[in-house]
Amino acid sequence: MSIGPRDSRPTAAPTSRRRTHPLTPVINSVRDLGILLGVAVVFFNDGLLQLAGDVGGILGVLLLVGGVGAVLVVVLAVNYRVWLRTEYFFDESGDFGLDSGILQRNERRLSLSRLQTADINRPLLGRVVGLSQVRVEVAGGGDSRVVLAYLSDADAHALRAEIVARAAGLAPDAGEAPEVVLVTVPTGDLVVSLLLRSETLILFLVTILVVFSVTAQEGPAGLMLVLLSGGVPLLAVFAQFNRFFGFTVADSPDGLRLRHGLANVQSQTVPPGRVQAIEIAEPLLWRRKGWVRVSLNVAGLQGQQDGQQEQMLLPVAPHAVAREIIGRVMTGVDPGTMNLVPAPPRARRRAWLQFANLGVGHDDRVLVTSRGFLTRRVAVIPHARTQSVGVTQGPWQRSLGLASVRVDSTPGPVTVVALHRSAGEARQIAEQQLHRAARARASGPAERWMIAPGRPQPGGSSTGTPGGAPPAEEEPDP
Amino acid sequence: MAAAQSVDDAFAPPGEPWHPVSPRLATARRITMMLVMLLVLLVVGLVALVDEARPLAGVLVVVWMVVVVWMWWLIGRRVRSFGYAERADDLLVTSGIMFRRLVIVPYGRMQLVDITAGPLDRQLGVATVQLHTAAASTDATIPGLPPAEAAGLRDRLAARGEQRSAGL
Repeated sequence: MSIGPRDSRPTAAPTSRRRTHPLTPVINSVRDLGILLGVAVVFFNDGLLQLAGDVGGILGVLLLVGGVGAVLVVVLAVNYRVWLRTEYFFDESGDFGLDSGILQRNERRLSLSRLQTADINRPLLGRVVGLSQVRVEVAGGGDSRVVLAYLSDADAHALRAEIVARAAGLAPDAGEAPEVVLVTVPTGDLVVSLLLRSETLILFLVTILVVFSVTAQEGPAGLMLVLLSGGVPLLAVFAQFNRFFGFTVADSPDGLRLRHGLANVQSQTVPPGRVQAIEIAEPLLWRRKGWVRVSLNVAGLQGQQDGQQEQMLLPVAPHAVAREIIGRVMTGVDPGTMNLVPAPPRARRRAWLQFANLGVGHDDRVLVTSRGFLTRRVAVIPHARTQSVGVTQGPWQRSLGLASVRVDSTPGPVTVVALHRSAGEARQIAEQQLHRAARARASGPAERWMIAPGRPQPGGSSTGTPGGAPPAEEEPDP
Repeated sequence: MAAAQSVDDAFAPPGEPWHPVSPRLATARRITMMLVMLLVLLVVGLVALVDEARPLAGVLVVVWMVVVVWMWWLIGRRVRSFGYAERADDLLVTSGIMFRRLVIVPYGRMQLVDITAGPLDRQLGVATVQLHTAAASTDATIPGLPPAEAAGLRDRLAARGEQRSAGL
């Protein structure tokens, strides 16, 4: 599925060795000093104060200040050494290199022909002084990434562009691919949507229950708990708000760019053809507003392998907008127009809450399943992205003659499962899905939204597009 | 398959019967189970050292025996429930009694095939073959194969995987 000749090796023009921004050691020292201070306060607070007190008066204060100063100098010196010995460059064979470490040297080479992502992040500390980090990831096992911190915004963008251009076999100075902003999530919508999430509501109800029972028993003292425990759901909401603030989806030739974050601005590029599955979630209280949330399974995207973050395509958006974006990620796919076959009526006895939402259907491109009670979840997986299929049956299901079918996708937030089908039908769905998967794979790559008809052939496009190459080169997941 | 409606058809073997796994797997699992249960018995014995608790210890020993017999029987059933079948394009693995499971992995999707065998397994001559795809949720594990069969299966799978490799 590569675009252009497969053997287009990354441009092999070595560069001189470069260092990160000179402010890097200062920022890192601030970070380290913060950590040290925190540790000192937590563990040695009494000891330090007592020491200062014992020595007494001005001398004690001087001792304290001097101590902190000495630590500061050491930390600065170490970080300066680290910065001095951290160099990045492109070598003759087209690899991206990063040499670092003062005691233990670490020389890392990333083969750009296997580039997965090159993203720009702006952590809080860097942002204060206007610096960014660049994160480069290639296909491979767990530790196949480097994070370059810190670079000036301009340098970061230039470096990112250079990495992508080299990976695509273009001139290193091809420049940054232009982008067109498609959607920006309004802050108001984000706040309202987070408050109306099913999880938030459940948390809130639980909190109210706890508070009531405690107040009833403990009297006014229990009211203190109101303030404390009432904060928990709000904290959860705020964490989400902090992550998804200013969520922007932009179209660029090397993929869909996602940018979001309040304190830390993250940016990610979802390269074409890397989307393995999508899920459209519709929490109960969003339905009146006509909002949905869209998340993705993306092969080898930042955070995906660690499983710490669910990859969001849209934290909240009206139906129509979501459909348009989904249509871009999977060309022309519109799960809303597909006919889903409901579960057999007896499945109501096994799952009466979500029965109305249970369904499965397919067209010649994708398989769609739906489930969920409070939050209706519609999962979409292209046939060609089917990894394996499974049929499961618990004792209760067996007594009703039901079974569930799961279609396995790469790690991520999306689970594709057709719950509570007739047992025979379940096996049939599984077998047919395998047939469709085999046929879809045989008839070539289907998921190339970037080079859909009418779109210009993009430049920085072979950013690790999977397919076609030897398998060793393209499997990002363990 | 089309007219399949009966309860068991969801887990029916594909034409030929399921390849069973070695009964020695049951031996291995029973040995492990007994080691754990003997530790439990030791604790019960300690309880019996206290005079007042002696009647309780008696009850516990009876419960212990019931549990051992039940697990002994259950392990046998569970081991017999494992089965696999190689088709032209995919591998089927089934298992489970209460919670039944069937996984079908196309050869083209396999990323690697593992064989593992612990010290006890090696002593008894059983090995576990596990298939990995790009999906972490693919749970295709065949325990209790004789080492020669496991190696043969792995080599066949690897060869077919190479022929049909489909990328992501």
